[in-house]
Amino acid sequence: MSSEKKITLLRLAIFLVIAFLPFCIIVPVMWSYFGEPIYASTNEAAAVPVYILGVFGMMTPSLANLLTRLITKEGFGRSYLGFKTKGKIGYYAASVIVPIAYSAIACVLIWAFFLNGISFSDTFTGSGLQTAGIFMLQLISSVMIFFPAFGEEWGWRGYMMPKLFELMPKPAAIVVGGIIWGLWHAPLTIAGHNFGVDYPGYPFAGIGLMCLMCIFMNGFLTLLTKKTGSVYPAAFVHSLNNNMSAGVMFMLFGSEAANERVGRLSSTKAFIPYLAVLAVIFIISMVLLMKKRADN
Amino acid sequence: MSGLLYKNFRLNLSSMIFSLVTAFACCLTMILVCLFSYPLRGVKAGPDDIQSLSLGFFACYFLAFWLPSMASSSLFSVDENRTCWAFAMSLPQGAKGHVEAKYYYLLAQNIVIMFIVFICDTVSCGMLGGAGNNTIFIIFAFSVCIFLTAIEVPFMIRFGSERGVAIKGAVVAGVIILAFLYLLFGDISWVFSDEDPIVALMNWLQSGDIIFWLGLFPYFSIAAYYISFRISVKLFRKGAESYEQ
Repeated sequence: MSSEKKITLLRLAIFLVIAFLPFCIIVPVMWSYFGEPIYASTNEAAAVPVYILGVFGMMTPSLANLLTRLITKEGFGRSYLGFKTKGKIGYYAASVIVPIAYSAIACVLIWAFFLNGISFSDTFTGSGLQTAGIFMLQLISSVMIFFPAFGEEWGWRGYMMPKLFELMPKPAAIVVGGIIWGLWHAPLTIAGHNFGVDYPGYPFAGIGLMCLMCIFMNGFLTLLTKKTGSVYPAAFVHSLNNNMSAGVMFMLFGSEAANERVGRLSSTKAFIPYLAVLAVIFIISMVLLMKKRADN
Repeated sequence: MSGLLYKNFRLNLSSMIFSLVTAFACCLTMILVCLFSYPLRGVKAGPDDIQSLSLGFFACYFLAFWLPSMASSSLFSVDENRTCWAFAMSLPQGAKGHVEAKYYYLLAQNIVIMFIVFICDTVSCGMLGGAGNNTIFIIFAFSVCIFLTAIEVPFMIRFGSERGVAIKGAVVAGVIILAFLYLLFGDISWVFSDEDPIVALMNWLQSGDIIFWLGLFPYFSIAAYYISFRISVKLFRKGAESYEQ
């Protein structure tokens, strides 16, 4: 291994330790304090620290990026903080349109696979100015989620992925990066975030699904970051993904009866249509990423 | 562009500090109100308490955005002379880059304030037991501020910072007068039909088609900001040409 690769590996290791440490320490401490998985806790006192942990925890990868650059005296070159839209407006538009589109398609897939007996028009009853108003407010409120989303993206896409690209080929880097990102969520997943704690195969099925989702998302987010040279489009996607998820869209446009049926589904089962749509996005993203290499 | 942004930042350091201090002060006020009202007293905030607090949050968040925007005229007043206009026109980025940098600077200032307010809202929401998220208020306060900036800047560029501020003041005064006229002569029975006027106001905001227009406003203000930028570039060029003559 060349000395350059050794330095990259060392920097990556420092980054990952700093990024992983907070959740690995705080979640078990809170779990033992409240005596139950904090994200599935019925204890009202747990709601406060859990909410704050969720928001500020998302910012730890950015903190890790910042600290690693300072500790290793790497400097702030290739920080992906620039903002250039010239010739890249399509990617910026995709960062808003694609997450909304895949959440909407996932909603339709949930209806097709799990809501047998309820017609499409009876499932999606939300229409009119009031629903449109709520949708627009929900969409614009993603701007607020942008800050924690940027907190993750500047760490993962702005630091980890460029380092992985230096160490291995692109497809391998995308998969490894996705697994690392998924495992970073593991303390939260075990504590009941995303899937709760009462699903078949707890907690390994949840961690596995999270890793799979992160691999698929990583393909698209890395594509946007590389093509625009900026982490902002990836942060847009991340904030919209969290704020306009299929679940939220279903609550907005779905009828009461349909929402009740979806609510009865196992959390991991309801996640599969969303994963299927993400898989398609992942394939397209990988083709576009590889295409660039062919051009070069 | 980064050089022009840095120039704006250096020349307006005091107004930037003022922005941050006022935003922190407004946020700290709300955090202290929440802290002393609920966690320190060992009381849990109920839905009615949260709805009543909402107005306080809205006022504080609005002030956090509004007060710094009062100092935005200093961004333009420092460049209001023939030498500066000639310098701007001689830049590789030209008039567009010069004006664009000012718009980016004002947007960045508002985004920094939004971040501070977001942190405050997260902390206060946590103190209220995970309820009382005021995201919509923050977005609305941000949109109003952006919209007023969009009105103010072209006037500042065309007529100077002092007149620009005066025109912005006139617009705000006009809106306030209209609101007062509505309160005096309009149908406000819905406010008094409920026991708590704040709860009634919240219910009204969430009912019917009003939510559609509220939802549309942030997009409208962003579009207005962009249109304002295009107009400002044209006005700046026109002004520079007349200076040259």
